[in-house]
Amino acid sequence: MIAPGKLARLVATNALSNRRRLALHTFGLVVGIASFAFFLSLSMSVRSVFLEEIFPLDEVEVVAPRVGAADVDARDALNDDVVNEIRQHPDVKEAVPRMAMAFPASGAAMFMGQRMPFEAGGFADGVDPAYVADEDFADRFVDWEAEEHEREACGPPPERECGDHYYCDQRDNTCHKRVPIVVSRTLVELYNTQFAPSHGLPPIDEALEGMLASMLRLEIGLGETMFAAAMTGGESPPRQVEGMVVGISDKAMPIGVTVPIGYMERWNREFVGDEAAEVYSSIEVVLEGREAVAPFAGWVQDELDLSLADRQGERFATAIFIVTALFVMISLVIVTIAAINIAHSFFLQVSERKRELGVLRAIGGTRGDIRTLVLAEAALIGVIGGLLGVAAARVGAAAVDFAAHRWMPAFPFKPDSFFLFEWWIVAGGIACAVVFAVLGGLFPAGRAANMPPAQALSQD
Amino acid sequence: MAGDPIIRLRDVEKSYGPASAPARVLRGVSLEVGSGEFVALMGESGSGKSTLLNIVGALDVADRGHVEVAGVRYGEAKERALARLRNVDIGFVFQAFNLIEHLTCLDNVCLPASFSRGKSPAEVQERGKEVLGRVGLADVAGRKPGTLSGGQKQRVAIARALFQRPRILLCDEPTGNLDSHTGGEVIEFFRELNERDGVTLVIVTHEQRISSAAERIVSIRDGVIEDESAGAPAAKEAAST
Ligand SMILES: Nc1ncnc2c1ncn2[C@@H]1O[C@H](COP(=O)(O)OP(=O)(O)OP(=O)(O)O)[C@@H](O)[C@H]1O
Ligand SMILES: [Mg+2]
Repeated sequence: MIAPGKLARLVATNALSNRRRLALHTFGLVVGIASFAFFLSLSMSVRSVFLEEIFPLDEVEVVAPRVGAADVDARDALNDDVVNEIRQHPDVKEAVPRMAMAFPASGAAMFMGQRMPFEAGGFADGVDPAYVADEDFADRFVDWEAEEHEREACGPPPERECGDHYYCDQRDNTCHKRVPIVVSRTLVELYNTQFAPSHGLPPIDEALEGMLASMLRLEIGLGETMFAAAMTGGESPPRQVEGMVVGISDKAMPIGVTVPIGYMERWNREFVGDEAAEVYSSIEVVLEGREAVAPFAGWVQDELDLSLADRQGERFATAIFIVTALFVMISLVIVTIAAINIAHSFFLQVSERKRELGVLRAIGGTRGDIRTLVLAEAALIGVIGGLLGVAAARVGAAAVDFAAHRWMPAFPFKPDSFFLFEWWIVAGGIACAVVFAVLGGLFPAGRAANMPPAQALSQD
Repeated sequence: MAGDPIIRLRDVEKSYGPASAPARVLRGVSLEVGSGEFVALMGESGSGKSTLLNIVGALDVADRGHVEVAGVRYGEAKERALARLRNVDIGFVFQAFNLIEHLTCLDNVCLPASFSRGKSPAEVQERGKEVLGRVGLADVAGRKPGTLSGGQKQRVAIARALFQRPRILLCDEPTGNLDSHTGGEVIEFFRELNERDGVTLVIVTHEQRISSAAERIVSIRDGVIEDESAGAPAAKEAAST
């Protein structure tokens, strides 16, 4: 039996002695493995952005179905009873009701000396603070007005002003804590990529996030629209409150602002009526896993007569999966062709090197030694091809990232790198190259080993 | 002068080609070679000399008959035992040198160590240089065979064959590709090896000079041993008694 160290030396000198042959062998492998690693890491990155940041797949939203006139009261179904029923379902980790703002409101954001007006009605909702309990701003996302308590008196300036994070409420001329607000990462991305550059404002990065509460003040005109004070059958006159952004979270409304649900209930009761304060707009459900989505959707439809909100995330995920699968298949085809190429070329090589292998038998090599030698050479070619392939993929990825950074305009969720080289892609690429190269070497190795040495050495 | 037989062949047969119409190359060869003997194997082209030598060296397998070399019975031996025999006890020298082109001369000479254990890399190198020195080529150790003359190549091949200190050296027309002068040097070397180190030599040759250096000449014709005669030294010995 040939010793591993001696085998390695023999194989290395053999494989490396003919650079052109080595290049020819590895070329196909490099191309195959490079495309394999490139596309797989691209799709991993795209998947992680889509599925983790934009459309988490184990979260669904239960809504009242869009119904015809016959079923008008179906919307009433989204109440506390339904929430409790959903919470009992075994696949459900968490069920959180959301209550949309049911009346018009105007808003304006005061930031870095600029006033940015926006429409708040329809772009605001409330959630239970317990839903965001694990976020680091949880201690500030609190319904400060859940209980009545003593407040400092205030009045329009110059009379008395309220301290930081407080505003003077018009109803009772006392200082109320500003309404805590969370916004979504989507909104921040939109601001950073679309709004900030065109208005000469700084992007909101990690450094700025923590200071948002003091830098950004929101005025909300409850019961009034941006353009006019045209009230629509409200019970109360419009009034102003102020809010402050306490955090950024995926649990916030994608486009809009989210407040503790207590505020929304009181406001809906005040401006619309009791009914609006008891019916939820949707129920956010976190499931045990992606696999639970389909059965849960069926259960919601059959048992509750409700439905899930349009799930674009799932469609994207499927599309990404298909594209990934396609590219991986193409890569595998390339790698297979490379393996066939290796087999073919090894086959020729074994004939060419017949005499050399015969010499090795004559000086003491067994059949097993010869087979090991040829296979080890194939494996070495596999390792070299795999390493070069992965390296080529990384170089290609770096080039694409550089080009994207340089020439592609900013867009929401534009990642720093479009590629995610997970360890298993690197390991898998190299392993794949080795496996295919060894497969390619298997038959030629057997042939080389079974050649009688006398015949291998005979002069032709 | 010769010791106990180190090579024993009895009724060895070998055919090539299809079983329906076999070309019978060896038709019952029986031969014994004593330890330390110097035998020249002669015969016309196609008579089966190389075939016989390959069977003795376990590079080919006899169809029938009994082969025993250095105490190993080929019919019963495992592949590992035969490989070990080729590695340790038998050295081969071919007409075509059969050096590996992409290895240096020293690496070529040390190649048999790849298939055996016990020597450290330094010891292997040392032994390699020693045998290269023995054939007078210490200075070509780092060169590739492609840069050597035919005579030098054959001496490197002989050094490789001697690396493991074999008891038997099998040579198939070792001077066939050499000019008469370098051929003469090689023959002289063989003779010295046989006399000084007691290496058993079986050399296939057409050359008069080799056969006259040998103790015994075995002639083969059409796959049978036709004639055995004493070579020059034996004749000399015979004449002196
Ligand atoms: N592998 C083989 N397949 C078929 N026939 C073979 C094979 N090897 C040898 N022969 C035939 O066997 C016969 C003997 O060959 P061998 O090589 O032993 O002769 P030789 O005495 O060494 O001749 P030369 O002096 O030319 O080397 C030849 O007729 C040859 O054609
Ligand atoms: Mg011959």
